[in-house]
This record gives sequence, C-alpha cells and structure tokens, in this order.
Amino acid sequence: MVSSPRSSPGSDHQPSNGYPTRLSSARKLGSSLNLQDLEEATLKGKADGSGDHLQDLYVKAEQRRMSNSEELMPALLDISALLQDAAGAIVDDSFLRCFQSLSVDPWNWNLYLFPTWVVGVLLRYLILFPLRLLLLMGGFLIFFICFYTVHFVLKGFPQKRMECERRLVRFQCQIFVASWTGVIRYHGPRPVNRPNHVWVCNHTSMIDYIILTAYSPFCVIMQLHPGWVGFLQTQVLNCLGCLWFNRTEVKDRMLVMQRMKQHVANPNTTPLLIFPEGTCVNNEYTVMFKRGAFDLGATVCPVAIKYNKIFVDAFWNSRRQSFTNHILKLMTSWAVVCDVYFLEPQTQGPEERSDQFADRVQRLIAKRANLKIAPWDGYLKYYNLAAKHPDLIEKRRRILADRISAHLGSGASDISTLARDSQEAQ
Amino acid sequence: MGQAMSFGLTQYDVEELMEYCGGKFSQAEIEGLYKRFRSLDRGHKGYISAEEFMNIPELSINPLARRLERMFETVNFKDFVGILAAFSKRASRDDRVRFIFTVFDMDGDGHVGAEDLDLMLRQLAGQSLSEEDISTVVKKALQEASTPAAGLSYDDFKKLLQGSQLLMQVEVPSDT
Repeated sequence: MVSSPRSSPGSDHQPSNGYPTRLSSARKLGSSLNLQDLEEATLKGKADGSGDHLQDLYVKAEQRRMSNSEELMPALLDISALLQDAAGAIVDDSFLRCFQSLSVDPWNWNLYLFPTWVVGVLLRYLILFPLRLLLLMGGFLIFFICFYTVHFVLKGFPQKRMECERRLVRFQCQIFVASWTGVIRYHGPRPVNRPNHVWVCNHTSMIDYIILTAYSPFCVIMQLHPGWVGFLQTQVLNCLGCLWFNRTEVKDRMLVMQRMKQHVANPNTTPLLIFPEGTCVNNEYTVMFKRGAFDLGATVCPVAIKYNKIFVDAFWNSRRQSFTNHILKLMTSWAVVCDVYFLEPQTQGPEERSDQFADRVQRLIAKRANLKIAPWDGYLKYYNLAAKHPDLIEKRRRILADRISAHLGSGASDISTLARDSQEAQ
Repeated sequence: MGQAMSFGLTQYDVEELMEYCGGKFSQAEIEGLYKRFRSLDRGHKGYISAEEFMNIPELSINPLARRLERMFETVNFKDFVGILAAFSKRASRDDRVRFIFTVFDMDGDGHVGAEDLDLMLRQLAGQSLSEEDISTVVKKALQEASTPAAGLSYDDFKKLLQGSQLLMQVEVPSDT
C-alpha cells in the first residue's frame, strides 16, 4: 500500500535559511496523508477553528489503512499504523516547526575572521547600540512632549487631533525602524484611508506593526501586553482607535468583532490592520488565518512581509523572550532587512464562504512572501488540541471500533452502532 | 574557537548511543534526534515532560497518545533514542513486534493477558465500544487465539502478527 514515505526534496527550496525543507506530515500515516493532502484540506475550508477537514483526512487515512486480517486477534494487535503516526509526530511535526527560531550560524572560525568578528561585536554593542538607544530615547522624549501637548491642546478638534497624533505615531515608528537601521523596501501602492477596507498581514513579530506604520499609519487589533508595551498600547495607540483584547477570553473576542465592524464602517478612522494568524510565526510558515477579518464584508488588502535573516532573525518567540529582549536583539544587530508587499485588494466572491476567502488571501500572501502553509490554528500554542477538540480523537477511535466490531458478527456491531447513536442523540 | 553545533554531543556520546540502539540510527540521525529532543525539552531539563509531549498537536490526537505518553514519560535522551529505534529503517521485524508487544503489555509482566487487552481496547476504541462489547471482544480474541491463562507470550504474539505488514518507519529530520 505504501510505496515511498518521502515527499520530493526539491518541492520547497530555500537552501540558505537553515530550516529543513521537507515537512514532516509527508512521512506520517505512511504516504496516505501528506502535506499536499493537508494543504488541500486547508483549501477545502474549515468549520470550527481546527476544523472538520483534518478530521475527515484522518478518517480517510485510517480507512485506507485498515487491516484486512480475517481473524480478530491479529486485527486487534496490529496497531502499527497508529504507532507510526505517533513516532512520526514525536520525531518531527509541522506545528512546532512554525515557531522554530533560526539557529545562529557563527562565522568566527579562524585567525583572521575572529578579530574581524570581535571588531564587529564591539562595533555593534559599544558604538551602534548606544547611539541607537540615544536616538530611540530622544525620539521618545520628543514624541511624548508633542503627543501630550497635542492631546490636551487640541481637545476641542478631534479630527485635527487624530491627524496630528497619527503623524506623531508614525514619526515614533520611524525612529524605531531607524534604531535597528531598518532596510525596508516597500513594494506596491501606498495604502489610502477608505471606509470598508481592512488590511491583513502575516505576523512575525510586533515590529511588523512598527514597520508598516512607519510607512503609513495603521491601527491594529492586538493582544494586550504587560509592561511598557502595554503602556504604549493603552496610552498612545488607543488614540488611533486600536483595539486590545486577551486572546484567550471568548467574551473579549466577541467585543472586538463588534468594534471591528464599527471601525471599518466609519470613514474617518485610521486604516485597520489585522494579523489573522493571531500569533507570531517564524516567517517560514504561515498558520491558519482566522476568519474574523474576512467576516466583515469589507475589501481585504493583503500585505506580505518577508524578512531577510542575513543579520538577525526577526521572529519574536514570545514564550522564550520578552519583547524588550527582542528589541534589544534587533538593536544590537547590524540591520533588519525586509520586504513589504502591498498586494491587490481582494473581495469575497458571491459563492465564497469567509473561510475560503481567508484561505485564498493566505495563499496570496504565502506565495508572495514565500511561506509554507501549515494547516494548524496558531492558538494551539496556548491550548492542547486533543483537549479542545476531543471529537478529533473520538472520530479516529470510532473507525477502529468499527473495524474491531466487524469481527464480532453483525449482531454485536449493531449493538455498538445503537449505543453510539444514542450517545450522539444526547 | 569552533562552535559546538551539535550542542555538546561528543563522538563518544554518539557512538555510545549508536551502540545502545543497536546501530539502528546513523550519526546524522542521532544528531537530528538530539536537536528534536532539545526543542521538545523546554528549558533543557534533560527529559521531556508529559505536557511537552502532548503539546505536539499531531500526537495529542492519536488514540494511543496516553499510552505512549506513559512510555516516554521523563525519558532522557538515551532512552528516547532507544524507544524510537524500533521505527528506524534499519529496525528488524522483530524489533517492531517487540515494540508493539511492549505497548500492549501494560503491566509489564511479559505477557499480554485479558487485562492488558481490555485496557488497550479502551484506548483504541474509546467510548465507541460499550463495556459489553469490550469484554466480548477480549473474550473472543483470546479464545480465537487459544491463549493460555497467563496471556500471550512474546512468541505467541509474534506468530499472531505474522500476516501483518507492520509499516512502522519514520524518517528522522536532518539538516544535511
């Protein structure tokens, strides 16, 4: 049944980035379930977060692999397919790969490279970094003075005040970009403020927002962070109409959805930027796009950001690193290099469901930024798949149960079917 | 001033591990496994906790996840390699059968008896089989294989699996 459990190594390329190119899923389930299947399933759409499509896929694979043994005992004992799945996932899986940081490749190997490297380190830490820090602090000083002046003086002119604040935020973002000597190339037309438009972008780090706003002010929907980031979020960015929420609170999410609708409909607001992945991914993969941004009935303008990891990996692994450390890492590197693409605005087709729409936009972004699509919900970082979707595991179990009860003769399997139906009815 | 890209595995370590798993993994595979082990083991404690283990989504939805979690519970890297050796492309059929046997032999007494089967069935089929069904299946299976009271020994077990294909092979990711 299984011929070769390998996917072709040439299908994905990117030799220099340090990531293994093949995805593990190809090796799972023999060859019966591979990445193509998974991607296909992603395209087919998903109903509830982590989706029926995955379920069906596993069901199909399970059915294909059913043992044809005549006797009960061998059929019962042959659990090799399940074990293979499990071992495959232990050895490698497509989810954790989305959040793997680039391993640093040092180049201080020999006698003349080492001093060069040392000079580089000294330059970066002792000269560049203090200068950048000074720049950043100076920027903040000017920014806060101006911001609060504007904030209180122009209280009576909300429109004018918003305009000034928007400029100031943009200024501060430019200071930020300068503090890592950002080399950023913007491609495509500059976004304009229109009602009923929403911008969606792949997410690598919070600096995505800074980079985009340095070019054209956006307001954003983001997780509320603690510390100085939270202070900036609530004190400054609130004035632009940015929305904050806690991603694990269902109530918050509903509220955000409502306010998002209001925001997009209002012509006088700042353009709304949404990161539909809901979490930072390492800029090599893209995880499932959540439907929220695509349910608004608004035109969606895709934005793709591709970082060049030549000097520093811009992926923010929020579990390993605080945002302050992340910023410090960027400030002590030579430069942050990236390309930003503003792609053609997309509207939902008449026959298209919002999840299909989301997938279509995801594919556009993935193609432009050269990302691989993984079918997982990024929130899996925060909860356990089996705990959240017990149906996934139960559906697989049901197939095994059917296979086993088939050996019991028709009577017994009827009983089990009946029992199941009554369970479902409950 | 070379950099330890293997995160501290020496040639001695690698050779010891290769010997431990009976040559089932090559050096490159061991390095790949070590990298994987380190990325699963957050905070580099030296073992993988049950929680970290179940954080792999594809694994957490495996019907056998709980059982495997127990087998892999707090194993160090050496045991990790040893357990996974059954899935190497160099593993013999015997190695694979032995692994399946260990999975079934829940109480670890060297025999797969009615209790072991009962527990395994619950994991495999979950609530899709009723209590009665489970006991019927266990009874029938044991009868059919004319199992002695102590349960199936490894040799019996092996005979029963003779007709199965046992496609247990995974490829260890490596950077090369």
